[in-house]
Amino acid sequence: MKAALFATCSYPGEVAPSNWPIPVTVYSAETAERTFATALEQCRLADEVGFDWISAAEHHYAPFCITPNPMVFAGALTQVVKRAKIALLGADIPIQNPVRVAEEFAMLDTMTGGRIVAGMLRGTPNEYITYNVNPSESRARFAEALTLIRMAWSEPEPFGWQGRYYEYRAISIWPRPVQDPHPPIYMSGSSPESGEFAAKNRVGLGFAVTTLPLATKASKHYRDHAHLAGWDPTPDDIIYRMNFYVADSDEQAMADMLEFTAHMGPGRTLQLERQTESAIAGAGYYGRDAEQRMRTTSARAGDIQAHIDNGTLLVGSPKSVIEQIRRIREEVGAGILDLIPGPANGERALASIARFGAEVLPAIRAM
Amino acid sequence: MASVAEADRPAEALLGFRENVVEADGFRIRYLEAGAGDAVVMLHSAIGLYVTEAHRLLSAKHRVILFEVPGFGRSPANERSQTMPDLARTMLAATDALGLKRFNVTGHSFGGRLALWMAIERPDAVASVSLIAAAVIPSGRPPPPATDPVMAKQMALLRRVMGGPGRDPVLEAEMKKLDVPVLALFGTNDEIIPPSHGREYRKLLKHCNVVMIYDAGHALDRDRPEALASVIADFVEKPDGFLVNRKDGAINP
Repeated sequence: MKAALFATCSYPGEVAPSNWPIPVTVYSAETAERTFATALEQCRLADEVGFDWISAAEHHYAPFCITPNPMVFAGALTQVVKRAKIALLGADIPIQNPVRVAEEFAMLDTMTGGRIVAGMLRGTPNEYITYNVNPSESRARFAEALTLIRMAWSEPEPFGWQGRYYEYRAISIWPRPVQDPHPPIYMSGSSPESGEFAAKNRVGLGFAVTTLPLATKASKHYRDHAHLAGWDPTPDDIIYRMNFYVADSDEQAMADMLEFTAHMGPGRTLQLERQTESAIAGAGYYGRDAEQRMRTTSARAGDIQAHIDNGTLLVGSPKSVIEQIRRIREEVGAGILDLIPGPANGERALASIARFGAEVLPAIRAM
Repeated sequence: MASVAEADRPAEALLGFRENVVEADGFRIRYLEAGAGDAVVMLHSAIGLYVTEAHRLLSAKHRVILFEVPGFGRSPANERSQTMPDLARTMLAATDALGLKRFNVTGHSFGGRLALWMAIERPDAVASVSLIAAAVIPSGRPPPPATDPVMAKQMALLRRVMGGPGRDPVLEAEMKKLDVPVLALFGTNDEIIPPSHGREYRKLLKHCNVVMIYDAGHALDRDRPEALASVIADFVEKPDGFLVNRKDGAINP
């Protein structure tokens, strides 16, 4: 098994209580600066202690993740992460210019000597508001953009593109990706439609903001459809994202987690006004399992043990965490854990990262 | 799709195209015509002549002429044309007979190869060439089966004029000299003529724009009619400034 450290770049300062989009009436530039410095420090450490990947995400108007363009953050990562792969999870390609995305991935792949993982995601529903894209076009735009980006990476002669959503007269990107034919591609696969698409298009699958039972079901769906399409995904084709915290003992880990959750404030979610959420659901953004998934993503409460049982949190001593990981490996079939460090930032998070590298990673390599 | 290889049909079934016949080079050549403006001569594939929404859309902007190549469809078997240049000269006699001094030509699959030969034979008359999944470089795929007498007649002509299964060095040498702007279109899902052929065109032609039609198979005109008509119309309007977007981008001027 492999592990990624997810650089959430979560703004730790005070945030005005609000639905999304969150206003910037309460804001500290100094805190935002420190957020990036802290994230880079964690990433540097994770790289040193043996994490296989460092990952970053794209979110908009969101204090819990202040990397609206993760490519910019990844540019900084190329200068501190010397060994691990850098995974962009994602680019939200349906709301972006796909040629620009192809160029940015290729630049980063060149700057890292071929250590880029190209996540291509649909983004969260609210993000269709960000760049004023109709969420009902999400899947069709995704499929077209993915085909276009792959061709932009591999076609040696300039070509134009006459698509449904994208039109270009000449594409000939410089630089080219180092990896041949291109960096490995992953997409988010919680819904049945996404799993089927990933299977048909032979790309990897990532699970985030889900639970162990749901991911287990979705992963089986993906592997079944891949088999029908004539290939069998390996564990390396499946990413599972969750929070983690490793302390010396289970007792210490639990105590730290409780202390952290007691201080968690509101305003860090993607909660939308009810009318806006209904409009997005009505536009057909969600997949066939819409109701089930909307319930899951809004159910954030619950105690720490429930989070462990649900597979949304790894917490405890190295020995306990290894056993929790074994369950994810066996049930979901995931070979790559994308781990959100916690609790909070600071020394304890750094110690947890170091401990994971020293005592957990060597044990899960053989899983 | 409205097939004109079958019985006579009213004009509506031909999507507004009118049927006519022109005498040229000893052949009676049937053609369909609609629209006004710059002439766009369109040559069909090995399947024969048919009309789609793509042709209708193009006719909204241009004078579109769809020829039935002698030996196809309702015309008698063509045992006279021996080579592609022979056929190209016959089609140029037809454009002459229609009084077309300068025109654009498009060709689908087999018709693409014929369109290139028309431009090679008469570069002064051909303003632009649009190749639609053209059969210029052999794909190694077997030709469509001769399922009925019409297809059998067409395939006999094709086997003779298209030559052997290898690349055509004479055509490729002529392509290198051609000074006419070419638009080479490929369907991203085409299993007969792969989009990678575009790379070869870029090496063989001086002025070649390659454009991928997303989510189209070999029948680009049926799979993505709006996309096909729009890109050809744009190329015909400004073959030299094709790369430059001149659409109004203002949302609320």
